[in-house]
Amino acid sequence: MNQEVIFETQGITKYFGGLAAVDNVDMKIHKGEILGLIGPNGAGKTTFVNTITGMLRPTRGRVIFKGQDITGWPAYRVGRLGIARTFQIVKPFLGMTVRENVAVGAMFGHKGKTRTTRQALEKADEVLEFVEMGHLRNHFADQLTLAYLKRLELAKALAMEPELLFLDEVMAGLNSREIEEAMEMIRKINASGVTLLIIEHVMKAIAGVTHRVFVLNFGTELAQGSPEEVLNDPRVIQAYLGEKFVERQRRMQQASPQQ
Amino acid sequence: MKKSGELQNSPQAASKKVARQKVLLGLVGAFVVLLAVLPLFASGFWMRTLTLLFLLAAMAEGWNFIGGYTGYAAFGNVAFFGIGAYGTALSMLRLHFPFFLALLVGAAAAMLFAVLVGLPVLRLKGHYFAIATVALATGVGEVADFWTDFTGGAAGLTLPFFHPIQLSNYFFYYIAFVLVLFGLGLTYFIMKRKLGYSWLAIREDEDAAKMMGINTTWSKVVAFALSALMAGLAGGIYAYWNTFVLAEEVFKIEYTLQMILATVLGGPGTVFGPFIGAFIYYILITLLVFFLPVGQLHATILGLIIILVMVFTPQGVMDFLSGRKRLTLSALLENIRTHKV
Repeated sequence: MNQEVIFETQGITKYFGGLAAVDNVDMKIHKGEILGLIGPNGAGKTTFVNTITGMLRPTRGRVIFKGQDITGWPAYRVGRLGIARTFQIVKPFLGMTVRENVAVGAMFGHKGKTRTTRQALEKADEVLEFVEMGHLRNHFADQLTLAYLKRLELAKALAMEPELLFLDEVMAGLNSREIEEAMEMIRKINASGVTLLIIEHVMKAIAGVTHRVFVLNFGTELAQGSPEEVLNDPRVIQAYLGEKFVERQRRMQQASPQQ
Repeated sequence: MKKSGELQNSPQAASKKVARQKVLLGLVGAFVVLLAVLPLFASGFWMRTLTLLFLLAAMAEGWNFIGGYTGYAAFGNVAFFGIGAYGTALSMLRLHFPFFLALLVGAAAAMLFAVLVGLPVLRLKGHYFAIATVALATGVGEVADFWTDFTGGAAGLTLPFFHPIQLSNYFFYYIAFVLVLFGLGLTYFIMKRKLGYSWLAIREDEDAAKMMGINTTWSKVVAFALSALMAGLAGGIYAYWNTFVLAEEVFKIEYTLQMILATVLGGPGTVFGPFIGAFIYYILITLLVFFLPVGQLHATILGLIIILVMVFTPQGVMDFLSGRKRLTLSALLENIRTHKV
């Protein structure tokens, strides 16, 4: 894998009053990889993404994208620079058609300035074909099911032609067939040259598509490494499932040593 | 996938929609031609009524930018009307500008005020924004009322009559009419462009809009300034037509309410909605006040009608005209079910 760092946070900290929701996080994302970001509920994953994409201002720390310090930039400038994200709670533009929703990304995103409205709509059609939603382009967003709304979020972000894409729980609430489809989509996006950070609770997806995993707990880094390492790390299992589960697993392993 | 939506994608449905749009456009076109030749037959009373109606329609078209398309409930747009009126009057009286130049000065002043005020106030959302705009409009009205040296205060400003006076009715009728057409054209033009898409995105979800690269502050301020442009021009025309400007008259909160009502009745966030809504509202109120034997009950009856329209067509009459909903009893009742609080 290419080891060039495309995105980096240095000591990113976000306080809400006296509470550190994100505390001194250093993260490096390498160009071309799929990095998984996991952690129990309330670990600060979404706050972390909000802080580094300009939705919130960090209390301390720096955010560097392609060698440029973008700390505290407003969200729209971050978006135009080539970073896109989806939202855990989907944010479709309900009063607009699917095609118009996606065209907004093509109009204002990374290469938006070079496009006319018509070209943006054509780009939207292209992206909709890519995510296999072409047949729904003239539907209003409020006619879509949750699985399609999640995919619309993805299409809107992709239309921005980002170099780096943050996906915040795009699989939550999907059934297993839809999860398979979403995993395939993520691989396809990555293969097209987009670096990805995916926040996910679906471990099958984390194990299946990521190259590396970063674990957040109580707003700080708990572990990072390959998916196998991290998902078998007792500290990670403990954070997710509690002390007792780790104990039981240890006893089970002792009872049935190396087959 | 929901099956109900499939129909809209079928080629037959698409061509039907296009046909309906053509019919609607044709009807509006015929209506515009009718209004253009109307002064040949209409009495002075109806010409004055229609001139007022046009000014209201123009302000409603302006309100539609910020309130309808961008989704910010501005409750102080009368401030722009008042500033346009005072700006025009003062330019004519103090600087001896010809009317059209003075009108531009008045509109520019209204836009400048919208930008300066919009930058801080458009950071607020929902009720907070609404209340802040009410407060601002009231504040500006008070300044105009009490800054006697500059605005003439409670004595008001008296403007020269339009010359030649026999053509006065025609002049103001047509200039207000042109303003309405300008508003329609401007709306159509913007909504085909990126600015229009940015307004809709902000209305539907401002955070998502921001993250997708939209400079939301800029888009909102432009929406606010353009609504000020329409109201400012209307105010300037009104001032010269009325030949008298008084703070308590041109800063009346009723004007704000009227432009909102017209937009909401017709269909907020549509090109023709405010224009159609202004007609419905103004013709109703004229009939009630002058022609129907309802005495002092006219305001009550108007209120009732507005409640009924809001209950049955919360998205305005454009919902039916554009074919999004059919005008049937079941569709009307459906509206009650989906919009109950």
